Parts: sequence; C-alpha cells; structure tokens
Amino acid sequence: MIKKINLFLIALLFLKSEVSAQKTQKQLPVFKYGKVELNEFDVKPKGADSAAAAVKLFDIGNGYFEIGPSGSFIYVFERHARYKIINKNGYDLADQEVRLYRDGQGSEEKMEYINGATYNLNNGKIEVSKMASDAKFTNRLDNKHIVKKYTLPNIKEGSIIEYRYKTKSDFTFKLDDWYFQGGYPTNYSYFSLTIPEYYIYKIDAGGFYELNRLSPIENTQNMTMSNGATKSENYTVKTVKTQYYLENIPAIKDENYITTLDDYVSKIGFELTATNYPQSGYKALTSTWPKIVKEMMNSDNFGGFIQKKNPGKELIKEIIKDETTPEGKMNLVFNYVKNKIKWDDKYRLYTDAGSPKTILEKKSGSSSEINLLLLNLLDAAGLESYPVIISTRGNGTHPGYPLASKFNSVIVMTVTGDSKHLLDAVDKNNNPDLLSYANLNHRGLKINRTTNEGEWISIDSIPPSRSSIFYNLKLDTENKLTGTLSISSSNYDGVNRRNSYQQAANQEEFVKNYKRNKPGLEISDYVIENLNETEKPLIESMNVTIEDNIESAGNLSYFMPLLFERTKENPFSLEERNYPVDFAYPKEENYHLSLEFPEGYKPDQLPKNEKFKLPENGGSFTIMYTMNENKLSMVSKISLLKSAYSPDEYYTLKELFKNIVRKQAEQIVLKKI
Amino acid sequence: MILRNSLFAILFCCTATASTQEIYDVSRIPAPLLNKSTSVVRNEEHSLIIKNRTNATLIYKKAITILSKSGEDVAQMAEYYDNFSSVSNLKAVMYDAKGVKIRTYKSADFKDESITEGNMFDSYRIKKLTFLNTTFPYTIEYSYEKNYNGYISFPEWSPVDNYDSAIEKSVYTLQVPKTVAFRYLKSPALRTDSIQNNDRIVYEWTCQNLPAFEYEPMSAGIRDITPWVMVAPNDFEYDNSKGNVENWKNLGEWNYRLSNTPQTLPEHIKAKVQQLIASAKTDKEKIAILYQFLQSNTRYVSVQLGIGGFKPIAAEKVATVSYGDCKGLSNYMKTLLSEAGIQSTLVILGSGRPSLNTSYASFGQTNHMILCVPAAKDTTWLECTSQYTPMGYIGNDNSARTVVLITADGGKLVRTPVYKPEDNFQNRVTTVALAADRSADVHIKTSYGSSQYEDHLGMMLLEPVEQRKRIMKNLGIPNMEISSASFLQPDKTAPKIEEDIVLKSSQMINQGGDKLFVTLNLLNRRESVPAKVENRKTSFSVPYGFKDTDITTFTLPQGYKVEFIPQDISLESEFGKYTAKVTVKDNMIVYTRNQMMNSKKYAPEKYKDLVDFYKKIYLADKQKAILAKVN
Repeated sequence: MIKKINLFLIALLFLKSEVSAQKTQKQLPVFKYGKVELNEFDVKPKGADSAAAAVKLFDIGNGYFEIGPSGSFIYVFERHARYKIINKNGYDLADQEVRLYRDGQGSEEKMEYINGATYNLNNGKIEVSKMASDAKFTNRLDNKHIVKKYTLPNIKEGSIIEYRYKTKSDFTFKLDDWYFQGGYPTNYSYFSLTIPEYYIYKIDAGGFYELNRLSPIENTQNMTMSNGATKSENYTVKTVKTQYYLENIPAIKDENYITTLDDYVSKIGFELTATNYPQSGYKALTSTWPKIVKEMMNSDNFGGFIQKKNPGKELIKEIIKDETTPEGKMNLVFNYVKNKIKWDDKYRLYTDAGSPKTILEKKSGSSSEINLLLLNLLDAAGLESYPVIISTRGNGTHPGYPLASKFNSVIVMTVTGDSKHLLDAVDKNNNPDLLSYANLNHRGLKINRTTNEGEWISIDSIPPSRSSIFYNLKLDTENKLTGTLSISSSNYDGVNRRNSYQQAANQEEFVKNYKRNKPGLEISDYVIENLNETEKPLIESMNVTIEDNIESAGNLSYFMPLLFERTKENPFSLEERNYPVDFAYPKEENYHLSLEFPEGYKPDQLPKNEKFKLPENGGSFTIMYTMNENKLSMVSKISLLKSAYSPDEYYTLKELFKNIVRKQAEQIVLKKI
Repeated sequence: MILRNSLFAILFCCTATASTQEIYDVSRIPAPLLNKSTSVVRNEEHSLIIKNRTNATLIYKKAITILSKSGEDVAQMAEYYDNFSSVSNLKAVMYDAKGVKIRTYKSADFKDESITEGNMFDSYRIKKLTFLNTTFPYTIEYSYEKNYNGYISFPEWSPVDNYDSAIEKSVYTLQVPKTVAFRYLKSPALRTDSIQNNDRIVYEWTCQNLPAFEYEPMSAGIRDITPWVMVAPNDFEYDNSKGNVENWKNLGEWNYRLSNTPQTLPEHIKAKVQQLIASAKTDKEKIAILYQFLQSNTRYVSVQLGIGGFKPIAAEKVATVSYGDCKGLSNYMKTLLSEAGIQSTLVILGSGRPSLNTSYASFGQTNHMILCVPAAKDTTWLECTSQYTPMGYIGNDNSARTVVLITADGGKLVRTPVYKPEDNFQNRVTTVALAADRSADVHIKTSYGSSQYEDHLGMMLLEPVEQRKRIMKNLGIPNMEISSASFLQPDKTAPKIEEDIVLKSSQMINQGGDKLFVTLNLLNRRESVPAKVENRKTSFSVPYGFKDTDITTFTLPQGYKVEFIPQDISLESEFGKYTAKVTVKDNMIVYTRNQMMNSKKYAPEKYKDLVDFYKKIYLADKQKAILAKVN
C-alpha cells in the first residue's frame, strides 16, 4: 500500500563534486521525434573531431518509475537520439542493438517499443524512410540475455538518422549508466531521472567534463496499480526530477597504458541506497561500508560460502600436515588452491556455487569461487585473513565512497606474524603478493568480518618486475659473436615468460619463438630454472652464436650494442595526454654486454656515458661503457618505479623515452689496426 | 535395420572388451604420437546415417588427451545447429592421466548460445562446453547426436584439424540407403571400405596413428598431406525447396531458379537509372556509373535465415531499404544493369577459400556471391558489398580462382582475373635532407596498386589522428614528427592509392665515434628471415606476388662527405628478383631498390632456398653509408 507521505528526498545530498553547482533553470532545447529541421543537414563536426564520420546531434534519456504488475516499482527508460552521418564510416550507426537481461526468476527487462527513421535531403526536401517491422530482430543470446537488433533503411552520406525506444525493467537497484560521451562528437546529451519519494539513489558521475545540473524539480506523479483483471487503484506519488546535460562533447579516443577507457568517459550512474516506504520507514540498503559488508556477509554466495565448515575442516589437515609456521601454512594452502582449481576466466564478486565443496568437486571456478575457497581454507588453518574486494582494471576505478555495484572481484589478505600478504589463486604462476595483472587497479577494500568495517588498502606491487639480460660474447675476425646469454625475469616479467613457456607446444618451440625476429641468432644448450618455483626469478641460460649483426665498411666494423633488445620507438608519440600512464606495476629493464675483441681491433671512441632521471625518484635511464684491455662492458638500465604516472608527468616520461631511443641506437665502431 | 544393429554391436564391442580406465590411460598412447604434440585424439567416431532425402543423423563421439597447457584450446566441444537441425543427447566426461573418471558433466554444464558474428540476424546456434583442469595430462570424452530435418550439405570429416595434435584413431562411417544418390570426395591416399547390405551401403574411412603436424612458416596448409572426406547429397530438400547438386551445372540450375524470379524496380529508380546513363556512350561507362550509384546508395546488412542463405532478397526490396547481403546487392546491381540494357550473371564462389573443385560440386565450398558482366573482350567483375573498391576490382579473396556462373543453362565454371606482380605495385620516391645535428626532413611519396591498394585502403579511411598514430608505428623512424600526411584515390575506377607524407626526425642518423651511419633503405627493409625448418612437410607460398620500387635521395649534412657506400647488389631466384644500387653525386646519395616476388605454390624442399633468398635481402636491406667530417 502506498500512501501519500511528504518526504524530503535526500538523494541529492550524495551528489559528487564532478557534477557542477546547480544552474538556475535554463531553457533546454526540446526535440520532437520525426521533426527534423533543414539546418540539421548543415551540421559538420568541429575542431579535433573535424574528420568524424558522424555527429550525434542529440541524445535524450528520461528515466522514471511506475508500479509494475507485482505491485513494486519498475524502472522505465525512454531514449531519443539523432545522428548526422557524415561519411560511410558512420554507417554502423544505422545498426542498433539493445541488450536485455532476465534473471531466470521472473525479473526481466523488456522492450516496449522502438521506432526509427532515416531522413535524406533531396532537392531541398526532406524524405523520410521509416524502419519497417522486418528490420527488427530478436536474438536469444543465452538463457539470460536477449539482443534486440534494428537496422535503418536508405542510409547515405549526409543522412540524418533518428530512433527512440522505451524499456521497462524490474531491476531498480543499479540503473544503467548514461553516457554523455561516445565514439562520435556529441552536440547535446541530456539525462533526467524522476525518482519517487520512496527511493533514494546514490549518484556516480565520472569523466573529464563537468556535468551541468539543473535545480531539482519537485512534482507529483499519478501511478496506477492494477489489482487483478478489472480493478486498479490510483496513487499520487511525490517525485523529484534531476536533470543533467552536456553540450559539445568531443569523441573519446583510446590510448595505450590505461586501465579502461570507461574510467575517462563522461557518464553518470545511479545505485539505490535506501528506500523509505511509509509502512516500513527508512531502510538503508548500501549507504555505508558496514551496511554493504553486512549484506555481503549475509549472502549465501559470499559470507555464507566462506563460513561453510566442510570440507575445509578435514581437508586442511591433509594440506598443512605437520607444518607449524603461519607463513608455511599460508603457502601450502595457497599452492593447494592454485594448483587444484582452474580459473574459468570469469571475474566475479559473488560465487555461483553455494559451497566450497562444489568447487573442489568441479575443480574449476570464477575468481570469487577460487579466492573465497582459499579464504575458507585459510580460516580452517587458523590464519588471520580478510576478503579484499576489488574492481579489476577492465571494470574501471572504484569511486571510493560506499558503492557496492562497482566491485567485480575479490582477493584475500592474510596476516602472518608482522607481515601482510595479498593472495590471488586464479593462476598457477601467481605467488603471495603477486596478483594477476588484471587486478592491478591500485586499491581494494579490505573487509573486517568481525566489525563489518571496510578499509581501503593499496594493492600495488611494490618490488619492481625486473628483467636482466646478460651477454658474454667473443668477437671473431669473421664478425661472428660466440658466447653465452642468460636472462633473469622476476615478478610480472617472470609470469609473462612462464606463461609463454607453458603455452608453447614444447621447449623447442619456445626457443624458436624467442629467436623469431632476432635474425642471426642461434641457440644451443638451453636451460630453464625455477619454472615451477614461482616465488623465485625465472632463470634461462644458453649458448649463442650471432651472425649478421656486425657490419663492415673498409677497415671499420660497427654494431649497436643492444643486439636485439633496443627500444626502437618512443611508445609516447602524442604531444599531450589527458589520461594517466598506467603501467600497472613498477619495472626495471637491465641489459649487460661483455664483449671481447680479437687481436688488432680497437674501439674508435665510445659513446658517452649518460644518466637521465625522472623527477621525484620516478625512474631513470642509465647507459654506461667501460673498456678493459680488449674487453668492452656495457650496461643499459631503465627503471620505471611507479605503477602509474599522472598526465602532468607525461612530458618528462616522453622525454625519458626519447633519450632511451636515441642513446640505445648509438653505434660502437671498431677499427682494425 | 540389421546392419545398424551390427554396427551398434561393433561399438559396444569396443567399449566392452576393455574398461574405460584402461582405454584412456595416457601410458597407452604410442610413443611416436607424443612427439611434439600437445594433444592426442584417442578416438573419434563420426558416423553419418542418411535416412532419406530429408532426414539424416550424425552420431559423434570424441576422446582427446590434453598433454600440456598449450593443448588446452582443444579441450572443448562445440556443435552448431539451426532451424533445420537439432543437437541432443550431449554427454561429457573427464578422466585423469591413469584413465580414471574424475568428472561427469551434467546437461546444465552445456551452453546454448546464438552466433550472429557480423550478421544482423543468423539462425545458427551453438551448443558448447569448455573443459577445465589444472593438471596435465587429462582426457576428455564427449558425444552427441545431431539430427537433420532437411539438409543441403554435410559436415566434412578432417580429423587433423589442429597443429600439434596427434591422432590415435578416427573413423568416419557413412550409411546411405541405396535409394539416396550422393557423392563423396576424399584425400588421394585415403582407403575407402564399403559393405553393401540389402537396402543400404556402409562406407568407412579410417585414420590411425598419425603423429602431430607442426606449424611451418608460410605454409600453404596441411590439407594436401592429411586425410579428409567430403560428402554431399545429390538430391536434397531444404526449407521446402528441392534441388539436385550432382554437378556444378545442376547446383547452378537450382540457384538460378531461386534468383530468377521477376525483378522489378520502383519507378523512381528506373527513372534514376535512365537519367544517370543518358549521356554514357559505352557499356563500360554505364557499368561504372551504376556501380557508383550502388556504392553510394546501399550498404551491407546480412540476414541469413533458411533458404534466405541461398536466395537473394528481391531487387525491389533492396531498392526500398537500400541494404542487403552479398546476394541481395549483387542481384540488385544485376537488375540495375538490366534496366540499362546490360545483361549480367550472378556468380557464387569461395571467397578467401580454395578454388572450387571442378569435379565435385557442393555448397560447402561456397560462401559468397559477386556479379559478372560478360563482354567479348573485357568482362567486368563486380564485388557489390564494397563501399569503396573501384569498378572491376574484386580483391585478393575473390581473384584467381574457379567460380560458378549462375546461368539459365545451369552452373558454368570459369576463372576470375589474376592480379599479377606488376599490378600489385608499390612505387616510392623519398627525399631525405640530412642535417649535421643528425635530424632530417623527409618527404615520402608512394603509390600502391591492386593488392597493395587493398592493404592500404583501411589506412586511407581512418581519421587523421589515427592515421598519424599508424604512420608512426609503420614507418619505424625514431623520434619523428609528422607535418602532413595525405592518402588519396585519384581515380574512382582504378585500384590505386597515392600517399604523401612529410615528416621530421630528430634522430635519422646514428652516430658512432665521429662518424655518421645512414641506413640507405629507409622505409622498405626486410627486418627478419623466416625460421629454418628441418624436414619441411607442407608447401608454401607468398600471399600475393608484388613489385616494389624505391628511390631514396639523401642530401648530406653540411660539413660531411661520403666515406663508404655499399656495393650494388643483384639477386635472382625462382621466387623473384631483387636489385639495390647506390650512386653518389655531389652532395647526394641516391639509393634505388627493386623487388619483385612471384605468387606460386612451392614444394616443401624449396623452402631452404627461399630462406637463403630472404636472408640475402635482409642483409642487403640493412646496409649503411658512412659519412665522415670534411677536414
């Protein structure tokens, strides 16, 4: 029963700083479906986007609520968008798709209607071509997802296209994000949400462009609830409408070394934080960390899963046997899980399975199933452990305030004596304190299961991943180099090389892959160490002969001392960068060459030793040459000590790489006497 | 009936004589099959039972041992179905290294998904299962049944479908009633066993103890050296259409019937056609005008449903909505040409696939439709789904192969045009003004033809910002800044792109001691040599023949003179020709390089000669001139 109750909405108190101070009522443009003005055909992309294939003329979204057949609120979403297609690369816009979800338990998203049309200018007259019913398709992707696809007729360069649709959804906890920015420049994007007084939403806005917000409008809405076939009741519900818009937003463009483009796009999202029904009063859903944590801990697919006593209680004896140290126990449990359970490539916060037993039997599971099984066993071993919930790199940065829906995976923290370890058992090549790359999103929320408190902690990898290459070579008079090569790879470099070794059909193929694009290199007596001792650096050693690398000209021989390992190009080519450069983890690249010359050869003036530094110990590049009788030693060392660099640091990073490219290309010239 | 029972008995017999535990014990795999393999097919039973003209059943069973992580990608089961077929009776089991059953999969573990890759709509769906295990080796076994209710073609049996995978045993059995006519085509060395039995014939093909094949660089594929069988019905009934595909003539006849319905155009399109061609003098001009009309007024949208996978949508419909798939657009173009009084013929082919087998007709070999406008001397071929390619250019995937013309007299096999190395040119003229501070101003002018035009088309269509990023990546000139870049197709009817790039590099020359080193082949170096292969098994080929010409002129920096230039080089082999020449005049160095490669399929034993040839080119391409200070 819904009664008229006067209530001040508090949703707006949660507005984030990204949303600019509210504007006094501004006259916003109004667009009518089917009413295209002649001057819209003159629209051209501007500025940095002047070569864009299309322009989004406007995109209007309106969200509001109705009472559904079951008597609870449903979310209604209406969208109306119009594009001007400039050239053929924009034709893809004529194909639209809308994904609809159903949970299999009766709740679903439904498409109410969709209309679309193409407008072409022909001798000063607008010709309309409507989307016909045979251009609408429904595809059942799997048992939870349906895709509705639509295609528009008569698309030409210069066409204007338009579509509008309406969906209804039983899911009101997390509303779909509204994107103000996209792959094409947007002239105007607007979103409004009208919330009944009983719902309170939290707002998550992101992106570089500050959203404009209008003063909220209080109003009333008549809602109908049908009671059976003939009867229905009408209610008047107080509502508040908030409106956001942006004008002239450039297209968003991808760059290297970022978490996900989604972190930088201008958008807004809403998550239900509380309900306030007259009969049940104010009911907070996820407004505080203790609230969120409590709910997770009460869930059968999180807290319930961790707390299952069986089979962990018995199994743990088998795993830890007579090990007594906490560190030793932790390693045994971690190794047991990572070697027994195969990851199914899915990141999840909650488990699908109801208990660790299922996962142990299935021998495979999601990130949540694997790491919560790990936690379950660490509990059984009596080790102080915490779930740490995270948002992976691909899922984007968590805004920081209590927002449950932004997490998509979980790892574990275990305390052994004075030290704390982060554990992630989805990959056999992972170690304590070495998480999967995808998880390196800088921080996670550590959950205290006793107090239900959440605490943000850094999950950055501290020691740099180090790759060190040592050549010990002898030059003969035929310009051939003979000697040894050894490679040591730690942390993520170790993980990457272990992965490629394991993915190669056999050692021979791995060596062949290593030789690829290293013309002149021949390898024999290849030995690999610590392949399975993942806590140690991976060591590879081999004998090598190298031909075709030293060139001759008259009585001169010359070569670049970084034989195959030179940084040939600057990875940062753009003048400016708006996004941070996020390498995910700190790293070090070491290169050593020791080269003995034959009798009668002498280097002709060595390149200068130089060192370049990033400010604030952010990293450095060193290159050094020393001669000792007939032996040349050369060291090149690149250190990037931060996992991420801010856009302000971009210029110095770019300069550092410019110097790396320049210095590593310098030649050593030998004179035959 | 009797026969089917006996076959079943054989199957049961196999499973009864040894317990499964013994069967899948990894230690039972013959040693040669473990050599260089990452998985071993322990047993595959592919049995197709054709019941009558419309119904057939495939009973399929496969067991594979996954030896290592790199074999994981074959640890899955996938079968397609559509409105005319169904997949049922799915079973799957996992065994450990000893052959002990460790997991039985439930029907809920199998996924049922739609596949619409690149299509607006496609009725194909897939049932699939991915097997996951952390320890190697392990064995998976799965089985299912696929029922056809109306068929047009059957899946091919080719047991070696992966590199690094050995076959212990794979058997294909085919049961056909004597009343059902069919054809099969098999790999030459494969033996066919058959038994006649009252009303039906049973065929059997077997592949046993076949070691794994390794991937070989530039390989033309393992089809020439592995067993396979294709089976196709002579008569079929599919989505209420009856047909005969005994030969290409009949297949073409059926196709002709599907498309040869009255094709009308709306009056305004008819008027438009007449208006467009009014001043055109020749048929060629008319074709060009109408092809351009097609390109600027239609786009590719693919909807595949039942017979719609073979029958073009009506020209009138395409005229109304301005989109269609390859069949719809080809047929629309045909109708436009017909309005202009020009006759043309639909063509079906295997785009990006091998040439059609002239003596074995089947739908399985085809996947595309284009249009042929015959002329006594100058036949025009039109790819109607492309928004950009010039009239008559059908691209690498469609050229130089056997295709079928769909005529009133049935299918006719013909060859599409071949693009010769001279057609696939890259002509480049570069000037480099070197400065004493090691920087340089560079101007690059290049034109690309045919296949190389096709390779650069995507670049031309990119936004300028993306183009610049791509140029930096492709050119590999260190520390460069682009001042201008343009890509143009000067003639709408010729497959040719002109590229013009002006750039500055702060580090064009490498220093060594007090000398400067200039890599003469600035932009078109062969950077690597294909890996040597011992005992190569497969033939090889280059993707297409081409001819590259580079002329690079360097102006020396002030205060420097040429101290050394490399000698001229001339190489020739059956793979192609290569010359590089350097001349010095005043303060300029002119470097001229020509490379021409033939497109042919070469026998495996020739591979080492190709490696030699490429190595010589690699060495020639990196030669440098040395500059010294003028004293």
